[in-house]
Amino acid sequence: MISFRRAWPAMLLVILAAAPFATGNPFYQRVAALVVLAAISASAWNVIGGYAGQISFGHSIYFGIGAYASLLVFSKFGLPPIAGAPFGVLASFVVSLIVGPPTFRLRGHYFSMGTFAIAALAQILMLNWKFAGGAIGVMGPATPRSLADLLFRNSLPYYAIFLAVLILLLALTHLMQRSRMGFYLRAIGSGERAAESLGVPVQRYKLYALLISGAFTALAGSLYAVMIGFIDPASGFGVLISVNMVVIAALGGVGTLFGPLAGAIILVPLQEATNALLGGGGTGAAYIAYGLIIMLIARFSPGGLAEIWRLVFRKERGRAA
Amino acid sequence: MLLEAKGIVKAFGSFRAVDQADLVVAENELIGLIGPNGAGKSTFFNCLAGDTRPTAGTVRFRGMEMTGLSPDRHARRGLARTFQVPIVFAGMTVRENVMVGALLRHPHRRIAAAKADELLAFAGLAERAEMPVTALGTSGRKRLEIARALATEPKLLLLDEALAGLTSSEVEAAIALVERIHARGVTLIVVEHIMEVIHRLTRRVLVFHQGRVIAEGTPAEVTADPTVISAYLGRRRGRSA
Repeated sequence: MISFRRAWPAMLLVILAAAPFATGNPFYQRVAALVVLAAISASAWNVIGGYAGQISFGHSIYFGIGAYASLLVFSKFGLPPIAGAPFGVLASFVVSLIVGPPTFRLRGHYFSMGTFAIAALAQILMLNWKFAGGAIGVMGPATPRSLADLLFRNSLPYYAIFLAVLILLLALTHLMQRSRMGFYLRAIGSGERAAESLGVPVQRYKLYALLISGAFTALAGSLYAVMIGFIDPASGFGVLISVNMVVIAALGGVGTLFGPLAGAIILVPLQEATNALLGGGGTGAAYIAYGLIIMLIARFSPGGLAEIWRLVFRKERGRAA
Repeated sequence: MLLEAKGIVKAFGSFRAVDQADLVVAENELIGLIGPNGAGKSTFFNCLAGDTRPTAGTVRFRGMEMTGLSPDRHARRGLARTFQVPIVFAGMTVRENVMVGALLRHPHRRIAAAKADELLAFAGLAERAEMPVTALGTSGRKRLEIARALATEPKLLLLDEALAGLTSSEVEAAIALVERIHARGVTLIVVEHIMEVIHRLTRRVLVFHQGRVIAEGTPAEVTADPTVISAYLGRRRGRSA
């Protein structure tokens, strides 16, 4: 039983990694790439929102910064979009250092509202920033000039790149979870005052978590822009970008290693399927489902699918013992 | 002196919860802090532990000025505390809760886990180490908080009503635990309501009333003090209450 418990995430990963190559259907391949991309940003959100319990509704800032960084280095300097990713990550550090310390003084819902407001402000700024294309946005290269532009007709190369980043992020999160930082973040998330009394430098660890979380969210934004080749204030800084991360992580299980990935595997295909079935007019339909999912999680299983899994598993183990 | 608090004042608006309180603690003492509800004991505790910044006054601990420093700096310096209402880290096991404290001095996870197990055995929670912490009742949570605070290897431990809400047999076990902590060489300040406990545990008691220290001495001296009696029972006025 124990060996199965240790092995199942690895098995899941292998199946997940192989599945899109097995199908020749470009729609499925595209959905698979988007699943992994959403898993990256939700897993990144999970570091501060899940482990440290600071429910940010402002992570679209990081996503937008990463996305704009890649397409701006292309449109302004003619560099391949992916070259913007390091700049996006650097900018995310600056944002974390500026936004983190004041918002961390807010607790609970107030923190969520504070981050939400800052992200909304950022979107308005982008709408009016002429250099970054204002409301029109920025385009990527229309045709590949070299392989470095990472422009592929097929979604499989994107899928492979995204998967590599996701594995790196999950490996880092796994290490963090086992380290002092992991314990400290979880302690902060469930009892800030007690954590402080035990010598946890709360503000400092929250900032560490935000730096990591923001950097990987920015990277996800860069990868998104490289694949899609277009970004505007709504698709980079929109409120729904943040909400997506929160809902995906919450469905799978906040503060668990594989929760956000599980959430992405369920929600992204749902979203893509409703978009495909209902066409452009139906893009809102997925969010109706989101609302329902939020209510169901909040009412029946605040720990998300991970909690349900644990309950089922514990019962099995109890019977075996 | 291990701890010297001088002229501590904590005001909330015009209300002075703590009003010019002094406390000097020598190494290896076990001091009791008593007083009626709302006397300012917990607020005074919070000032000592860095949870609230006193409006006036200074706190020196192990020769260092601590006033205004954050609680985590206090913990690192060797001052630990428990809370009147235990705060446990839900989502963690009992052992992991104690590990959070142990990680302060032992950043390595394995060593911290061993340290946590040692303290869980000390606090009588060894067989519950693997349980989710939320499965513990009041008595268990109070002992867990003590184990967790001890895991930071404090020189001074502040226990805020560690015995309140326990059954009489649990109180016996808790008294024995406090005595064993003292025997480890940890200096203790204990806030307590139950007079019997204070009598048995401590040799020096401070009595708080309306934010001030109104009496100080051995438990026997203090309980015989007329100011203390009137603070608890009110003054005789014609018909006694």
